[in-house]
Order: sequence, then structure tokens, then C-alpha cells
Amino acid sequence: MQGVIGAFSELDSAVHAIEDLRKQNFSDLTVYTPTPRHELEHALQPPQSPVRRFTLIGGLLGVTFGYWVAIWISDYWPIVVGGKPVASWVPYTIIGFELMVLIGSLATVFGMFAVSRIPRLTMTVGYDGRFSHGDFGIWVPAGPDRAGQAADVMRKHGAVEVRNER
Amino acid sequence: MATVVQPSRDDLPQRPNIPSAGNRLPGIRDYEQVDREIIGTLRPTLGWFAALGLAVLCLLIGITAWMYQIHEGLGAAGYHPPVMWGVYIVTFVFWVGIGHAGTLISAILYLFRAGFRTTIYRVSEAMTVFAVMTAGLFPILHLGRPWKFFWLIPYPHWRLIWPNPKSPLVWDVFAILTYLTVSATFFYVGLIPDIAVLRDQETNPVRKRIFAALSLGWRNSDREWRHFTRAYLFLAAFATPLVLSVHSVVSFDFAMALTPGWHATIFPPYFVAGAIFSGIGMVFTIIIPLRKFFRLQHFVTINDLDAAAKLCLFTSMVVGLAYLTEFQVAWMSGNRVEQEYFWNRVFGQWAWSAWIMLICNMVLPLSLFSQKLRRNTTWLFILSLFINLGMWFERFVIVVPSLSHEFEPWQWGSYAPTFVDYSILLGSFGWFFMWFLLFIKQLPAMALAEIKEIIPPKMREPEDPAEREHDLDTLTLDPINTAGDD
Repeated sequence: MQGVIGAFSELDSAVHAIEDLRKQNFSDLTVYTPTPRHELEHALQPPQSPVRRFTLIGGLLGVTFGYWVAIWISDYWPIVVGGKPVASWVPYTIIGFELMVLIGSLATVFGMFAVSRIPRLTMTVGYDGRFSHGDFGIWVPAGPDRAGQAADVMRKHGAVEVRNER
Repeated sequence: MATVVQPSRDDLPQRPNIPSAGNRLPGIRDYEQVDREIIGTLRPTLGWFAALGLAVLCLLIGITAWMYQIHEGLGAAGYHPPVMWGVYIVTFVFWVGIGHAGTLISAILYLFRAGFRTTIYRVSEAMTVFAVMTAGLFPILHLGRPWKFFWLIPYPHWRLIWPNPKSPLVWDVFAILTYLTVSATFFYVGLIPDIAVLRDQETNPVRKRIFAALSLGWRNSDREWRHFTRAYLFLAAFATPLVLSVHSVVSFDFAMALTPGWHATIFPPYFVAGAIFSGIGMVFTIIIPLRKFFRLQHFVTINDLDAAAKLCLFTSMVVGLAYLTEFQVAWMSGNRVEQEYFWNRVFGQWAWSAWIMLICNMVLPLSLFSQKLRRNTTWLFILSLFINLGMWFERFVIVVPSLSHEFEPWQWGSYAPTFVDYSILLGSFGWFFMWFLLFIKQLPAMALAEIKEIIPPKMREPEDPAEREHDLDTLTLDPINTAGDD
């Protein structure tokens, strides 16, 4: 992968650079930021995160398994007390609820890892330690023909450093 | 993360005493200062080693007592009929309760957009995880054959016997294990971006590799943050009802039994309010010395403590109302056994413990109606110790007097903890503080990324520099914002 990375110390400079790069039809930008900011999200206009689907599916699986395991245990080893039902859904709601939360939460984290593509074992081209500290970074995937144009845009908006990476 | 918090409206007055999503930390100027000052607290000091040594010593005392108990049997713990639940169950409920404030602060206050949580939630989450780890030991300590504890978990095995899913003890296993897993997951997920900061700043190659592995290759990209904030929101949404359910389930251990003082429908909300109250007490016990020794008073501001103190006052009043409601229900029930039990609780054999509970949990927290005391860290710390004491005695008052004063006079008895009980209680504090002290010197005690969210980023063209300067000056110099700090 080759492209251009620009480092910005000011948030508004980075936002203006993103807007300008998008106007000039640079796509698939990656922005590095020490903390999530609304301004960057508005400039990038990303699609909605699919993590919620993992949450929903995990939660439904958990609650189903919770009720099922409690009912199965009761039927397998019936404890008959005072003619009351062997399997009673009211107390089993506790087990169903707890497993819904447990499996739903773990599925949420699994989903976040899957769609964020972590754990990552390799170095990311263009990443710099300063992006977790205080600076903002914009990675523009661009071939040699458009790399100069991307670099110019970022310099125009106040990038403190711009370099080509591959 | 605070990123889902909508910015507060600019036209609303920003009174320093009102925590909001637009909470500001006037003493923090830039992102670099956040990293420098919080990561700077990770250097071990002599005082830290001394505290860790003390915690390990307490733990060793507890382990020794447990070994003695395994050899001698549970009678060594002071149990004799009719009181077959004592300090262990009391301490179990106490630690589960302590664990509640962490998730309250990190999840519930997050959903309610309470800005004051930002600087205290990491410590509270750590407290939660370690408190639940401590609580989880007590059902095992309470077993005659502790090595058989896994029989409570339903798994396929050759005896073809399964636990009874209608038993509150089995509900406890599901609730506590879920709570421990979800709290630990929530805690770790929140730590990932901060571990990435440590990785990027670390110069020691071994530690750098460890941090690189723990941060899972986190790169702070917009894609990662987008999924992270969603996942964090959903985890908070799951954790919120979980907090309420766990202590309700713990209360069922008592409320499902036909014992005077226990068989009451008020128990779940009463236990939940008590748990949150005791957890906030422990947050004060930990955070007030921590901010002083780490010199982080400008991070955990007096406004944050003031807001937490209001929450403490509110939960104290809910708990107080529950105490009084219990007496009222007994009085109006016409049930002589119930009435005699409550009379015995406050004027009989257990009066001393009941009055410790009432004074520490109901009377002393009323001092927090005074803003001056809410903003006095010394008083908050002293009060927090009383709350911890009072909440331990609340559980003692629930467990022991009921068992010692059941339906018939021939069932009545007494209970006195032995040195084994006290040693294991001490050991539990050693276990908890050992983990906590190890945590604060290995990982940031405050959330770096989230604190960066609430301080203004560097701007090339500040929106209104005059207004910001005025705002900062007002907050920095305002006496109400600094009074009470030592």
C-alpha cells in the first residue's frame, strides 16, 4: 500500500484538510486521532457501525440458551415440589437475563474486534506514535500520480509534516 | 466514551457547581499535559512499596487463617446453630456492594451524560473488578470442601446430577460470574486506547512489547474509534440493568427464605441502593488519597467530588428510607414474630450493631446537605470510612440478628466471630488492595483518551478566544471551585 501521511497539531486544520481532500475525490481516507472528535466524524461522514448486529444476535442467543439450559436441567432431573410445575419460567428469567447480558456483551466486543480488524500483528503503514499522544494524522492512499496533489492539499491546510509512505 | 455526548448548549450558563457534558478541566491546557501528568504517576515510590507490603501481609494473614479453617472445619469460624451464616456472607455482600459503584459510575452515569464521571470512572471500574474478585472468594471460603466449588456450575459430568435452577444460590453463580466477566471486559475495552498511548511512549523494549500485545495493535484510526464508541455504548447499556440485577439476585439469597427480617419484597431495591451507597463510599476512600498522592487535584476537581457527594447523599436517603420502611412494615404487619425481631434489632441483643449502622448510614451522610462539607476533602474521606463501616454493619444486621432470633424461643441464640473470621476479613482487604495497588502503578488510573475529549483541542482559529480566556479565568480563580482542596 502506498500513500501520503500528514500530521496536524490543530484539529480544525485536520478537518479542513479532510474536507478539501474529499472535494478533490480522494477516498478511503484514514484519520488518526488521540481521542474521538465529532468534528472529524462530521468531516468524514462514515457509515454506521455494524457492531449493533453482533450485540443483538449475541443477546438473543444468550437469552435463548439461558432459558433452554434451565428448562432442560429441570426436565432431566425433575424435582417435584407441592405439585408445582417442574420447569417454571419466572425464576428462569434470572438465568435467561444474565446469559443474555453475558453473551451479548462478549458478542459486542467480538464484533468490535472483528470490524476494527484487531488484534493486529503487523505495523500499519503511515502510523506514528504521536497520533496517540496529541497530533492528528491523515492517511491518503494514493499512487505516485496523485501523491503530490494530496501532499499539497495537506500542506496548504497547515500540516506540520507530510511524507510519502509505502 | 464522551464522544457520544452532544456538546452542551453555549447559551446555558456554565456554573462551576453543575457538572454537565460540557464539564471543563481548567487546570489542563493540552493533550500532552494529560499524558505527561497521568503517565508520570506510574513510577513506583517508596510509599507505594510500603502500602503493597502491608496489603500482602494482610493477605497472608487471611490465607493462614483459611488453611487453619480447612484443617479444623467450619466450626473454627464461629458458626454454631442457629447462626450458620456469619462474617463470610456479610463480607461477601459487602464486597459485591462495593463493586456496584464502579459500574454505576462507568455505565449508568455514562448513559446519563454526567460529565463528572470522566476522571473517576477508571479507578471505580478497577475497584469494581477487584471487589467482585474479592467477593467471589467468600462463597468458596464458606464451603466445607472448597475444592468442590465448581459443582455449582452446570456442566455435563458422569454423576448426571445438575444444580437446581430454582435455587437463589445458583442464580448467584450466574449473576456474579456474569458481573465479573462483563465488568472486567468493560474495564479492559476502555483501557485499550490508553495502553496504546503507553506503548507509543515506552522506551523499554520488553515493556513496549507487553503493551503492544495488550493494546491489540490499536492505532487510533477513525474506523477503530467509530466501532469502539458504539461497542462501549452497548456495553454500558448491558451493564446498567446488570448492576441492578446482580444485587437484586444477591438480595434473593435472603428474601426467598422464610426468616423474620428477610422475607420482604423491599429487599431488591434496598440492596441495590445500599450497594451503590457503599460503593460510592469506597470510591471516596480510594480517590481522595489517590488524587492527593498523585497530585492530580486538577484532574479530579472539587466539583467532581461535590457531584459524587450529592449522589452519596441521595443514595443514603434511599437507604435510610428502606430502613424506616422495614420498621413500618413490621409494625403494620401484625406479625408478632416480625415485630419482636425488629424490636430485638434496635433495642435488644443487637442494638449496638444496628445503631452503628443507623448513625453511619443515615445520620452522618446528612452532613452532605452542606455544600461546604461536600467540598471538604478531609470530611469526605472521614465520612467515607464511616460509610464503609456502616455498610459492613448493615449486612451484619441483616444476616446475624435474623438467624439468631427466629420463630420460637428455643431457636434463639447468639454469635461471636472468632479470630479466623477477623483474619479472613482482614485478608480480603489485603487481597483487594494488593490488586488495586498493582493496577495503579502499571496502568493509567485515569482514562487518557476520555480526558482528552473534555479538554479543548489545539485550534488554528479559536472560535472565540476572548470568551474562552474569560471562561478559564473565571473557573480557575473562582473560590468555590478550589475551596476545600488540600
